[in-house]
Amino acid sequence: MMKRESAALILALAMTGMSTAQMPTGGAPSGGAPAMPNSFDASGSAAKPQSNDPAHQGETPNPQLLGVEMPLMDPSTDTVKYNGGIFDVGNNAAVRARFEKYLQQVPDDSSESKRYRALIKDMLKQTQRAGRDKNYAVGGDVLIKVGRGLYKASEYPGDGNQSGALASAIVSALDVQRDSLTRERDNEKLEKEMNSLVKQADEWQNHNVARKSALSAGANQGGNGKKNAGRSDSGGDLNALRIAQYIKTAAKKESTQAANLATSESAKIASKLNYQAMLVALLFSRRFDHVVIGSRVYRHIFRDGDTTLNLDKDSKAHEVFSGGVGLPPTVNSIDSIASNMRREVDQSIQSVYGMLARNKLAEATQQLIAAVAIGEYMQSVATFPADARQRIAQFWTLRKRALTALNARDYATVEDVAAKMKEMDVDFDDSMLLSYTTGKKRQSDLAIRNARKALSKGDEEGFNKYITEAGIIWPRNPNLDKGTELLEKFDAGDPVKEEFVRLYDGKEFRRIAREREHYKIVAMDPELAKKYEEVISLVMRMDGMLEQIKGVAEQDATLGPCMAYEKLVEWQKSDENFANDTEMTLVLKDFESKAHDFVQALRDGDACEKRGEYGSALSCYYRAQCKYMQSTLAREGIKRVTDVIVKATY
Amino acid sequence: MARRARKGSKKKGKQNLMPVFIGIGAIVVLALILGSGVLKKGSSARGLEPTPNFRIAEYRQDGSRFASSGNVYVFDGRVENIETVGNARLVSISIPDNPDERLPLLVPGDVKLRVNLTRGDRFIFETTCRTGKTGDGKQVKGVLIVKNVETR
Repeated sequence: MMKRESAALILALAMTGMSTAQMPTGGAPSGGAPAMPNSFDASGSAAKPQSNDPAHQGETPNPQLLGVEMPLMDPSTDTVKYNGGIFDVGNNAAVRARFEKYLQQVPDDSSESKRYRALIKDMLKQTQRAGRDKNYAVGGDVLIKVGRGLYKASEYPGDGNQSGALASAIVSALDVQRDSLTRERDNEKLEKEMNSLVKQADEWQNHNVARKSALSAGANQGGNGKKNAGRSDSGGDLNALRIAQYIKTAAKKESTQAANLATSESAKIASKLNYQAMLVALLFSRRFDHVVIGSRVYRHIFRDGDTTLNLDKDSKAHEVFSGGVGLPPTVNSIDSIASNMRREVDQSIQSVYGMLARNKLAEATQQLIAAVAIGEYMQSVATFPADARQRIAQFWTLRKRALTALNARDYATVEDVAAKMKEMDVDFDDSMLLSYTTGKKRQSDLAIRNARKALSKGDEEGFNKYITEAGIIWPRNPNLDKGTELLEKFDAGDPVKEEFVRLYDGKEFRRIAREREHYKIVAMDPELAKKYEEVISLVMRMDGMLEQIKGVAEQDATLGPCMAYEKLVEWQKSDENFANDTEMTLVLKDFESKAHDFVQALRDGDACEKRGEYGSALSCYYRAQCKYMQSTLAREGIKRVTDVIVKATY
Repeated sequence: MARRARKGSKKKGKQNLMPVFIGIGAIVVLALILGSGVLKKGSSARGLEPTPNFRIAEYRQDGSRFASSGNVYVFDGRVENIETVGNARLVSISIPDNPDERLPLLVPGDVKLRVNLTRGDRFIFETTCRTGKTGDGKQVKGVLIVKNVETR
């Protein structure tokens, strides 16, 4: 039974009305970009693009029915395999277009439509009743009513003349039946004529035999007998010719009878095939009401009781229509499938109402797509209310935008749209969508990071490679602009480089550090990168030292400035870069003013020393030491001058 | 009436102030005597007295100015530090009431002192300011060289 149900789904093929011209899903985008999925399967993976590539050529072909390949639908992925390609039912251009058209249509509640549906309903009822009446004969009232009803229904534009086609098929089959009946009657007449001829031939034959017997008896009696013998011979020849003529005529009639029989049989077979093809075509075009009507009147048209479908026993179609139980497929199988489809569609529409009531727009949309795809011409679908269509249309538009954005690899928009869909339907499962976009965004960002790294090493080729990769993965990645900006800077980096070198040579490290973002671009040159790093780390180190010395100096208002001054002088003496640092010199000046007496004493000592005033110099250094006992500069001055004084002669 | 009376009293006042002036004069004389006694307190046992008007600040600026021949400077100071280099010693002393100053005094090795210099004690230093020379001919100006040291 389940197999029969899946067969019904498989036959939903017709719903799509697909042709080989339709694009299979997951086509590889141009430019060598990685294939973007159009949908996601149940496992969370993007649906793999499968099309007419040789890898799929070796797969088992779809079953065929009456020479037509049947698309196979995979309910787990909402895809249909047809003509070597995989089609996403929810994202197929034809399905999309048809579904969108349906959503925008006004429910068909016109009087014409109602009359049409009433006609169809009436025919369904009559055929159902006729099905129960075993004494129903060809040309019966119901069959005539059905034929008339179908012709009348074909006047409704929405019917697409399917009713007319079925009516014509019925009439055509009936004509064949009528012709066969006529030929049967002709054969009966021929049979009678042949029997008459045979009878006459037999009579003449008997007559000849009697005459021959009489003549042979006269010859035995004398001369008169010889005379009569000559006459009797000529009469016998005449009878023989007559008998031959009768036999020839009878043979002709027999061959005519055989030809009539053969013509009737072949016409019946052709008529059956045509009628069965019509039923299958109606099934494919989702005219399930017509299929049911046509199937039910079948046994009343072809009254030989043979409803077997003419299918190859080894074909999958045979298996599908036979329900997998090994019995030959019949017209009743088609009837059963069509009836199931009608039930499925009605149930789908009922579930859509329920889902809309619970605001489950995603599921309602999926159900409505299935219902429209399968039973677009059914009453429950055609009369689906406009406001409900509008709600689903809004959600469908977002879904379409998400897919379009996904195809365009605009992941930010995908996330934005997914959020809106989530707002409309809190149960909407956006996890697969978001995990996919997040993954792609990360890939793109990683490529940009690699591009930056490459550029920092001066590897322009590597930069181009990674930035292209990042762009392909996520063309609208906002960080791509930064990468481009970086490249532009790199291209226009020479003046900045020159400026940097000039400042570096002029020891203007503070300025470089202040405008570090401006000069950062020079780091793309490996040699300048070292200098850039050196400058930044030096300035940071000096800033740290200054902060530290200021903090310590603040702890003692008297000795602190002396200590700080001496430390700063010591640093500036130890490193030329410190001596050239404007900030450190400013701080030094500040402490110099705060420790004026101490600094003045040291300076006086130094000045006196230079003038040879060693006595005075020593006195100055002593004074400095008095101001700051731990002074290294004072201690060193004292030692230096003492040595000179002591070693001199007076 | 009042004016006349005032004139009269002024004349009379002048006559009465004479003994007052005499008294003040006596006090001044007494003060001078006592003051000289006080000043003599900084002098050595031999009677060496610190050189007045010696300003260390001036010495720090230009020591060679004090190196005129024959100038002797006497200081009453406390030994703050003694640096011995070979036989010579460099003594730094602090002058009373001037704790932020140190005066460096060279005690050459050939000068035999009669007192033992100890850190923290006060002495009377008799010095001369001289200019010396180093081995490479460099002038060493304004160095105070101790000639004699006495206890107070």
